[in-house]
This record gives sequence, structure tokens and C-alpha cells, in this order.
Amino acid sequence: MIICDNVHKSYPMGRGRKQVLRGVNLQIANGEHIGLLGRNGAGKTTLIKLIAGVEMPTSGKIARSMAVSWPLGFGGGFQGSLTGYDNARFIARIYGREYGDLRAFIEDFTELGRQLKMPVKTYSSGMKARLAFALSLAIEFDCYLIDEIILVGDQNFQKKCHVELFEKRGDRTLILASHSPDVIKSYCSKAVIIDQGMAKLYEDVPDALQIYENL
Amino acid sequence: MASFARGWNIQIRVIKALLIRELSTRFGRENIGFLWMMVEPLLFPSLVALVWRFMRGPEEHGISIVAYIVSGYVPLTLFRHAVGRAAGVFTANASLMYHRQVRLLDFILVRFLIEMIGGMMAYLFIALLLMYFDLFPVPADMGCLLGGWFLYCWFSLSLCLILAPLSEVSEAVEKLIPVTTYIMIPFSGTFNQVSWLTPNLREIVLWSPFVDAMELMRYGIFGNGVDPYYSIAVPVGMSLVCTLVGLIMCRQIRRRLVVE
Repeated sequence: MIICDNVHKSYPMGRGRKQVLRGVNLQIANGEHIGLLGRNGAGKTTLIKLIAGVEMPTSGKIARSMAVSWPLGFGGGFQGSLTGYDNARFIARIYGREYGDLRAFIEDFTELGRQLKMPVKTYSSGMKARLAFALSLAIEFDCYLIDEIILVGDQNFQKKCHVELFEKRGDRTLILASHSPDVIKSYCSKAVIIDQGMAKLYEDVPDALQIYENL
Repeated sequence: MASFARGWNIQIRVIKALLIRELSTRFGRENIGFLWMMVEPLLFPSLVALVWRFMRGPEEHGISIVAYIVSGYVPLTLFRHAVGRAAGVFTANASLMYHRQVRLLDFILVRFLIEMIGGMMAYLFIALLLMYFDLFPVPADMGCLLGGWFLYCWFSLSLCLILAPLSEVSEAVEKLIPVTTYIMIPFSGTFNQVSWLTPNLREIVLWSPFVDAMELMRYGIFGNGVDPYYSIAVPVGMSLVCTLVGLIMCRQIRRRLVVE
């Protein structure tokens, strides 16, 4: 269960503050697949960061009763000057996982080969996404937070993601931010629309998509 | 209690991982690797001691100049480096906030630990070497030496806890740290004993936790060769206050930290 209780988030902007979220209330039960919809700058990424605990809400509370992944998107969470392997080793250490297992999995999943011996700052955003995704799968979270990532990879990578995430780990909770109606329609059981700093949960995905398109 | 033990285990795990990461990014795995962390704290005191030895002769106030300067400069180097490293530590490590078990305090603690362990290794190395050449006494009271070292470290760390969040708020902090640490050398007890000062000055410098800790360390090393003046209450009290203020500031800044 993830509960957002009256979550506000604002950032300093010039002399004032920019209000991004103005009182978000959400309850996400275990095993739900939630599609996160909203226009650019509506606050999808901000909400995902808050749920992940990367940033703190300005006010309000977020409670999590399961292991929530870090936001999976374009990079983030890596030390650029360290190699892919070193980053994996670090992540294995802080999550208390066996590095050997993690290493075998990322080698197989990312297909990055010798690139894993290079500093992460030399990776393309697609390569970073692969690595982040592989690591988070190997750690086995209860809930995955995904920011547009499915759209980043090539065909082959998308297929792998599909198998690992939706088939093998279909029972996990999923929060997926995307602009693509197809993605939301095929993977999500509910949808949340973020607009004007508020979030609204829709039980019916086609309804939500309809409303989203008219925003 | 069980959840406390779990949290404790996680924090230890994180600190270990951060230590290894910091050591490998800063010093690399080439040549002597992590032993670099004791090179700077080793060279500074040795070279300064050498200069003083040639300028001032072998002894002053009945104490070996080399031993005196080394005993003062190792802690001073620790303090200066620790404080310098604390500035901007959050921005440098912000990407690690993606992992919820990593806390801001861990960053400060890890950088401080590296300076502290490096300093202790350097101290031990120089002292043993100098002892071999009869230039450094066998510590008269190990308890006082370690107690003084602990107080010196604690106060340094408590200042780091304040300066790290402060440097996020104002850029000026980072730029003012080097000159401030230089100006405060007279209040660090590095180059003089309190007993060499006039009674009026004594009262003033004893308000510096560094002076109290240094007097205690020097008494631990030279025993009755020096006439120590110190208070335990001043360093303990000031460190407690600074630690508390620092922890509150770190908590405040965490709420406002923006992570890319």
C-alpha cells in the first residue's frame, strides 16, 4: 500500500515559489498497475520522485508499506565517474544483495558487454535506462516506478522488459508515467490524471484517456 | 527494538558502501590506492615540523620542536580537511538520494571518517618513525591523548554538520572556509601552550574547544613536560550544541533538496 496524504510540493522560483502539487491524495493497493497521465510539467515526475522518497513533500505525508524502487527513467541514481560494474557493486552493497547474482543478471539483461567496464557518464540515455532497469529487476522490488522508460529502448529491449516486468513480475505494483495511450491501455488497470496540481484516480482506463485527451 | 536493529544494520551497510565508493573515486585503485588518504596528513605535519626544526632549533620550553609541531599539526590538518570536504557534499552526492536508505548524514560521516582514519594512520606512522629516532616521546598517558583526540574530532565533526547544510544555502560559505580555518589557527592550540600565555589570554583561548582538546592531547604525550590548562565541559558542551544544531539543519535541508 502506498498512501499520499494531502501532499504539496513547491519549488523556489525567482522570488516566489512554483506550486507543482497542491494537495494530492492517493491510495495505491498492492498489485495495482497505475498509469500516470498528465501534460508536460504537470508534475508526473515530481510525484514519482516523492513516492520514491528521492525528494520530500513540502507538506503532507507519504506512507509506503512495501519496497518501492527508485524512479526508473533517464539515468539518475548513478555515479557518472564510476563504471557500470562499480555502480552495480555499490547498489548490491546498499541493498544487501549478492554482487555475483546482480552482475550475471545485468550482463544478460542489458547486453551492454564491455561497455559495462566504462564510466556511466559515457553511456547514452538508452544505455543508462537499461542498466537502471536491470538493476532494479535484480533487486526485486514490490513496486516499480517507471517514468517513460518503456518508450526509450529498442524493439528487442522492449520485448525483454515486457517479459521480465509484465509476465514474470505481473503481481507487483506498478506506477507508469506515460504520454502514450496505447502503453497505458495495454498495461494499466487504473489511471491517475495530474492536472493543476491535483491528482484524480480513475477506475476505468478508457474513461481516463478520454478525459486526458480533452485536457 | 527489532526495527532499530534492522535500521542500524542498513545504515552500517550504506556507510560501508559509501566509504568504499568514496575511496575508489577519490584515490583510485592504482599504485598505493586508498593509502593515499594518509599521505596528505602525513606530509603536512612532517614538512612543517622540519621547517620549524631548522628555524627554531631542536627544543623550546624543554620540548622537542619536531614532536610538538607534529602533535599540533596532525589534528589541525584533520580539522581543515574535514571542514573543507564538508562544503558542497550534498550536491556532489545528490544522485545517490535515489536510494532511500542513503541519508544525508551518511555523506558527512563518510567524508569525516576518511579524514579521521587517514589522520590517525598518519599520526601513528610519524610517531613510530620519530620514536625510532628518539624525536618523539612514548605517550605519558594514552587515555588523555585518545580523549583529547576524540574531543577534537567530535568538535570538528559537529562543525561539519553545520557547514555542510549551510554551504547548500549560501555559496559564500564554501569560499570563506579556507580563510576562516587559517585565521583561527591561533585559537587551535597548534603552535603554543596555554601556559605560555598571560592569564587574560588564557581565559579567552580556553573557550576554544580545540585548545582544550589540544592541551589534553599534549598532556597525554608529554606528561609533566607541559603544564596543561583545559576544561572538559567547554568542548563537550560546544560539540553537543553544534551537533544538535547541525542535525536540525541537515533535516531542514533534506526537505528542500532538489534531486535531478
